[in-house]
Amino acid sequence: MASSNPETESNNGSSIAKEPEKPQIEAFRMPTMEEMRAQEVWNNCAVRSVASGVMGGGLGLMMGMFLGALDNPIMQEEMTGRQQFMYTMRQMGQRSWSSAKAFAVMGLIFSAAECVVEKARAKHDTTNTVVAGCVTGGTMSAKGGPKAACAGCAGFAAFSVLIEKFLDRHT
Amino acid sequence: MAETEMEYRVELFNRLAQTCFNKCVDKRYKESELNMGENSCIDRCVSKYWQVNSMIGQLLSAGGRPPM
Repeated sequence: MASSNPETESNNGSSIAKEPEKPQIEAFRMPTMEEMRAQEVWNNCAVRSVASGVMGGGLGLMMGMFLGALDNPIMQEEMTGRQQFMYTMRQMGQRSWSSAKAFAVMGLIFSAAECVVEKARAKHDTTNTVVAGCVTGGTMSAKGGPKAACAGCAGFAAFSVLIEKFLDRHT
Repeated sequence: MAETEMEYRVELFNRLAQTCFNKCVDKRYKESELNMGENSCIDRCVSKYWQVNSMIGQLLSAGGRPPM
């Protein structure tokens, strides 16, 4: 039930001095099958979580390289400039790889949990973010025992709600 | 005959779209595309509406009196 309002401009050049041009309202077109399939790809939970994992990995890589470069090397007796450089490079590489893995896993779990919860509830809410954050925090701190898992759950849920509110601040 | 059928179909589609939109889509939205929650809500809504519609249609067309 699309309705397009035709623009009625009275074009007597004398009275209109400097009216800003109104944006043209274009007709509404239904999405084609290709567009719908392209959108359907992103509705798949597996695709979304893998993409989030990859993005998390990239972010972890950047962060790890940055923090690894800032780390001061443990100075062994004598190292030439080149050896220092190689050592720093290796430090950076290790740090960035471990950080990338951690962030990738985090992104994967968070995105998968949020996708599954949102599909099950059929609602777009902050509750999805809370549950997904809790699951992610809990699994990441599960090694420390149940208490650490609870603390990780609450902390990460709060963090992800804050990030979500920040990213959607323009209502 | 075909006219009434067409009218019926159009009416069904309009009511279906209206009902499921009112149920599933939050009135204060920030983006134009359907997010996943709304998508699955619409899937379920349409499926239920269709099923109920066909069931009632069968009941009404089979016997003259609706079973109360």
